[in-house]
Amino acid sequence: MADPARTSADERVRRSVGRRLRSAVVALALLVALSAWVWRGWSFTLRPGEAAVLLLFGRHVETITREGFHVRLPAPFLERYVVRVRELRTEDFGLHAGGGEETPAELHEATMQTSDNNIVRVSFTVQYTVKDPFEAGFHLEDPAGVVRDAAQAAMREVVGHTTVDGVLREKKALVTAEAARRLQEILDAYGAGLDVAQVQLQGVQPPAEVRAAFDDVVAANQDASRLVNEAEGHRNEVVPKARAEAAEVLAQAQGFREAKVAEATGAATRFRAIAAEYRLAPEVTRERLYLETMEEVLPRVEKVIVEPGAASLVPTLPIGRGREPRP
Amino acid sequence: MRRLAFLALLLLALAVGLVFAGRVGLGPLVITREGDQQLILFLGSPQRVTEPGPALRWPFVETAESYSRRWLNLNAKPDTILTADGEQLIVDSYAIWRIRDPKEFKRTFPSGIEAAETGIDRSVRDDVREVLGRHTLEQVLDSQRAEIMREITARTQAKVGGFGIEVADVRINRTELPTGAEESVYARMKTERERLGRKNRAEGDERARRIRAEADREATVIVANARRDAEIARGEGEALAARIYAEAYGGDAEFYAFVRSLEAYRIAVDEDTTLVLSPHAEFFRFLESSTPPPRPGR
Repeated sequence: MADPARTSADERVRRSVGRRLRSAVVALALLVALSAWVWRGWSFTLRPGEAAVLLLFGRHVETITREGFHVRLPAPFLERYVVRVRELRTEDFGLHAGGGEETPAELHEATMQTSDNNIVRVSFTVQYTVKDPFEAGFHLEDPAGVVRDAAQAAMREVVGHTTVDGVLREKKALVTAEAARRLQEILDAYGAGLDVAQVQLQGVQPPAEVRAAFDDVVAANQDASRLVNEAEGHRNEVVPKARAEAAEVLAQAQGFREAKVAEATGAATRFRAIAAEYRLAPEVTRERLYLETMEEVLPRVEKVIVEPGAASLVPTLPIGRGREPRP
Repeated sequence: MRRLAFLALLLLALAVGLVFAGRVGLGPLVITREGDQQLILFLGSPQRVTEPGPALRWPFVETAESYSRRWLNLNAKPDTILTADGEQLIVDSYAIWRIRDPKEFKRTFPSGIEAAETGIDRSVRDDVREVLGRHTLEQVLDSQRAEIMREITARTQAKVGGFGIEVADVRINRTELPTGAEESVYARMKTERERLGRKNRAEGDERARRIRAEADREATVIVANARRDAEIARGEGEALAARIYAEAYGGDAEFYAFVRSLEAYRIAVDEDTTLVLSPHAEFFRFLESSTPPPRPGR
């Protein structure tokens, strides 16, 4: 009697313990699932250069640009889109890939018309980053495609405003800066949320058909500057030479002048000395000088002493006698 | 307590279920994501358009169709057009457009985006042809490019705007000359370059010759100036010497004449000279008598 009652009581206890155990296990499982969901779903980490766009029931509510650990509502209520903001995206235009001839498609992409209706081949690269993660992610269907289209339009517009010489040489930097500015304007007008970092010209060339003519102009410029350099060389030679000659002529003249003065001074001093002596004894000095000179002069010469009035002798004088036989 | 927790969990599960169902297009909740819009149809007839965010509908009787709200880019097919000045030009353009009103859009293009793209492409090409045909090549390429693009955009927008479409921008991204015209441009470029080359060479020559001539002039002037200064210096020397002589000799002119004459005799009278002398000359005054005769006037 008591046995069945006891068994049934035991059974009840056992059953109730089992039920409790079961519900505890269920609760624990639920708790683990919940906390895993909370942990996995409610928190996330942004690495450097990443941003998260958060949509609540599909509507944009927040953009997180700060890197690190964040806690927000989980999916499916709040959706997260992670965008690599700082990643530099690149688009090439008209760039010749690989060796050999350019393909027609590459040529088409690079061919542009300048303001003076010349044709040039311009290849360039556009680099851009994400400025606004939400706009970049949700405003355009195909951001890269839009960048391609807009960049070509912008570059062609700028080249179309520039002369061929400007594009090829003088204004390269201006062309890239202007193209970047235009591209940014166009993208901003579309609300693309993209930031043009740089437009780089990879190659600017006249078409192959006329390249020789363009090269010849370069050669002509070189010829011209060679001529000018040669002329400057000539000037650098001729002018110093002239200065040297001038210096010579001047020095000679100075020398002549000083010599003249020196000579005169010497002669004058000598004369003064003699004159001073002469003044002391005029008669004697005069006589002496005269006789000394005669002494010196007369022995050398043919002398004919004639009484004045004997003029008839004159025609017979052997004038010039000494000259003829001399060898 | 347990019941409360159970209730909360149930509600949560319900909410999650509703949202998931809404995302895949079931149940009363319609979730519209950014960049999309949904057209709600009551038994197939368009009713209203949702904004991004949650919206409600009657289950089973109302259905939702999703349309993109993003800007789409459409590359129009390249087209050969004729400008006002008779130049042929191959023009490549693109349009930036989006579905502004799905109701209108669905009505006009029931088969969807592709039909719309075909329509826009045709419209853009017509407008490009029309507008460019009224401008010269130079205006198209340079001076009125921006205005032309604005005009094409406005025309296209006016044409297709009624179909629930918005056109933000139509832009020419490539213009190219047909092959024949390209050849003639090359020929012209070549002659232009040749002209430029000749001009630059000639200008270089001009500058070089100017420099040479100027240098030669400078050299000549330098030498001539030096010669002038030299002559002046020589003259000065001679003048100075003359003054020194004059000062020295002026005081004693008669004696100078005497001394200088003697010196001159010494030089002038050489072996080839024959002197005809009078015995009465002063030199001979002691030749005939030792007493000096009266001196002849000197």
